[in-house]
Amino acid sequence: MYLCCLDEGYPRQIARFSGSTLSAIQRQLDRLESGGVVYSQLLGRTRLYRFNPRYPFLKELKALLEKALTFYPEAERQALVMTRQRPRRAGKPL
Amino acid sequence: MKPIAEMTEAELAAHVQQHLLKRGIRVVLSGGTCVTIYSMNAYVSGGLDLVAEVYARPQEISAALAEIGFERHGRTYRHPESRLLVDIMSPPLAVGGEPVKEVREIRLATGDLRVISPTDCVKDRLANYYYFNDRQCLEQACLVVASTEVDMAEVSRWSTGEGQEAKFAQVRRGLLDAEAARRQKAPPTRKA
Repeated sequence: MYLCCLDEGYPRQIARFSGSTLSAIQRQLDRLESGGVVYSQLLGRTRLYRFNPRYPFLKELKALLEKALTFYPEAERQALVMTRQRPRRAGKPL
Repeated sequence: MKPIAEMTEAELAAHVQQHLLKRGIRVVLSGGTCVTIYSMNAYVSGGLDLVAEVYARPQEISAALAEIGFERHGRTYRHPESRLLVDIMSPPLAVGGEPVKEVREIRLATGDLRVISPTDCVKDRLANYYYFNDRQCLEQACLVVASTEVDMAEVSRWSTGEGQEAKFAQVRRGLLDAEAARRQKAPPTRKA
């Protein structure tokens, strides 16, 4: 769900967001990558995961996740969809 | 049997396929090695991408490949006598959002090789260009078109289905030029 809403993420970030352990998230991402659902790329020392655009069931999977999101408690849904995605220039205060 | 160190990419793929088949695991060759085969070795691949047609447990695959000397290294398998990495990928056998409909068989010294068609090979390479901007794969698609008959109308239809008409329009000229160069060289030897 994290990747569906935010397009990409690294294991520690997803673990922090979902309140899971890092190892549990890494294990799940590893399985999803083995199944071709996600792919990863090294960005410096961080392994970044995204949905694999070549996964044949991606459209259907995303539609299912989008529908599931509408059933989320409002606070959790807001946390997923209201995370800032647009860039912020370096040095600009928050 | 030919020693593994002397096998070509395609022969090694057939050898691995035939052994996995004996253990009930059916795999089809996809990826860069198909470019090697269809471009008549104009491109050299570094590994074999074999896609399982039906899900097989990693433990079963590891055990079967260990019987013919392959050792597991992370997600891939390596034989001490070969530079090639073997990757057994999960099903489904697909190019983008569509299943692969045609699997070809090529008879080799090490057994029958089951491989995706030249047309699907071009789609597979173009998918990497469309989704990851990988220009190497675009070059590989052109190499296949320049060497083997490919159904360009089907590639165009598939590209549209993937929502990639704009990108296909950008690369169409290059692909057609490659096709024209092949036609000038020799009459078609393989059908797509």
